[in-house]
Amino acid sequence: MDLDNLLLGFSIALSPTNLLFAFLGVFLGTIIGALPGIGPSAGVAVLLPVTFGMSPVTAIIMLAGIYYGAMYGGTITSVLINTPGESSSVMTTLDGFQMALKGRAGAALGMAAIGSFIAGTASVVLLMVAAPPLADLAVTFGPPEYFALMVLGLTTLASLTGGSMLKGMLMAVVGLMLGTIGIDLMIGAPRFTFENVNLLDGLDFLPVAVGLFAIGELLFNIYRPIRMEPIKAKLSGLLPTRQDWRDSYGAIARGTCIGFFVGILPGAGATIASFLAYATEKRVSKRPEMFGTGIIEGVAAPESANNAASTGALVPLMALGIPGSGTTAVMLGALTMYGMQPGPLMLSTHPEVFWGLVASMYIGNVMLLILNLPLAPLFASVLRVPYSILIPIITGIALFGVYSVENSLFNVGVAIVFGGVGFAMRLYGYPPAPLVLALVLGPMLEKALRQSLQMSLGSPEIFVTRPMSALILVFAVLAVVYPLISGMRSRRRSRALADVR
Amino acid sequence: MTRADVFAGLLLAAGFSAGLWEACSFQYGTEFAPGPGFAPVWLSAIGIVLSLLIALNAFKATRRAEHSTDEGSDAPDKAGLLRVAATLAGLVAMLAIAPWLGLVPSILVFLLFLTLYVQRLSVLTGIGASAATVFFVYVVFVRLLDVPIPSGPLGF
Repeated sequence: MDLDNLLLGFSIALSPTNLLFAFLGVFLGTIIGALPGIGPSAGVAVLLPVTFGMSPVTAIIMLAGIYYGAMYGGTITSVLINTPGESSSVMTTLDGFQMALKGRAGAALGMAAIGSFIAGTASVVLLMVAAPPLADLAVTFGPPEYFALMVLGLTTLASLTGGSMLKGMLMAVVGLMLGTIGIDLMIGAPRFTFENVNLLDGLDFLPVAVGLFAIGELLFNIYRPIRMEPIKAKLSGLLPTRQDWRDSYGAIARGTCIGFFVGILPGAGATIASFLAYATEKRVSKRPEMFGTGIIEGVAAPESANNAASTGALVPLMALGIPGSGTTAVMLGALTMYGMQPGPLMLSTHPEVFWGLVASMYIGNVMLLILNLPLAPLFASVLRVPYSILIPIITGIALFGVYSVENSLFNVGVAIVFGGVGFAMRLYGYPPAPLVLALVLGPMLEKALRQSLQMSLGSPEIFVTRPMSALILVFAVLAVVYPLISGMRSRRRSRALADVR
Repeated sequence: MTRADVFAGLLLAAGFSAGLWEACSFQYGTEFAPGPGFAPVWLSAIGIVLSLLIALNAFKATRRAEHSTDEGSDAPDKAGLLRVAATLAGLVAMLAIAPWLGLVPSILVFLLFLTLYVQRLSVLTGIGASAATVFFVYVVFVRLLDVPIPSGPLGF
């Protein structure tokens, strides 16, 4: 660990401007997390244009604040209305809402905030320890290893997004295909531009991300309006009792470890982490039959895990320049727009960005603890604002934001088209995250592939003769094959059960 | 997998086929490396296979569902679809009038249409939410961030 760099980070993060935007980020993130129907990906994409004019480090501090702040906010909705604010809070509904029905909503929210704080802070320490050595290792990587890493990211995300793996894979291919639009950088030939000058630079990722994540989601909420009816719970007793601590400390520790390491894996993310943490807690518990009835470790474990995972997801982004989720893909796009190239060299060429972010996350987690303990009732009151009023507000910000990226109405049109596509995808269960990730990674992936084949004079053997690239590709194949085999096994088992009946 | 997936699979397969047709006109390879056509050709081919697999799986699933009792559960809500279609039409109209009317008034008109016609909010709530949103984005993007916007006869 480099103490000088950490001190540099704190000197940056503690500047009044960065403190203000870190606060703004975590505050908005908490609200975004608390609102069902708008997740961190949409929140970061919609608010990205607001960061124009800021320095890159201030912008990334604010965007990261929205990301991990949303993990805190998601709990409020899960506990009070039995609806997850975002997908990583699904598991919290199981025990959180039951606790609220028993009059312990305050304890559930309090333990979630404290667990999230401990997990968030511990995982920032792990981020600080893990990212620099990984970046040092990645400096030795060539195009084949990068190609393999990006393939691993895409296959894992496509196979773990829930629902049909085939649909996830197809969306990744659609994203890669969209990434080929524009002038080919190696030869200079136009591809799929149809003589439209707006397409010469390719499709901008932001209008696509805003369309799929934000406008698509809003259209879905217009199609099927959200009814938010928070239960009338008294939010007292936010500080956990001694018994609550005894029941939860193991869950928080395990949730943190699971969350961070799952978060590092490309594609896995906070949702899978919270599922795994809950399942692990149930397995190791002395009272597994009580899970789902409103026990505090059922809240502490997934909430710790989703916070740790959101920090873990920054490791591949910062150290390798490879995002592992929809939200980190948007953050990569943001950094690229600011002229930064996340990856192994960024830690040495722009240490202020990485270390400023790390330091701001320590501060941001303290801010979130303060916001979420005494101010939990205030955030809970956000749920009383009818969602129908939020739709025009979010739509207006999204449309203006998309326009302001390049002052282009063409981009607004792209966002509208992808909004319609995103709605259809949401309606029929096609995940948008692999598409956006593939769109961001596509040009890099193609470049790495072509450079690799150039190195080997056209022989694809280069990907398997280099040990690191071969190893990563084995994991990529496993990411596809393992869910297929386990799916076939469970189908066979259920068929056998049906035959017995 | 539903009947819609059959159509989605076939539609995407057609889209990828068109992509493959176009990609075949790009240079596939150069002397030492793949050319600009390499990735689009392979991606289109993979896309066609995956789309057809989805269509096939969905077709089999709908055939199975025809023999079971719970069919029709995934039929989309027509009123909801009409609301979405109206919103999308409003967005397209907003885009069309923005160069003449100006971006700010166009978004305001769209938001009024959205809140009052599509969402059926009360007049006061609809006008209030639309006006407040437009005022907020105008202050943030135009005044604070100096974003140049297409202006109309009203001067903004």
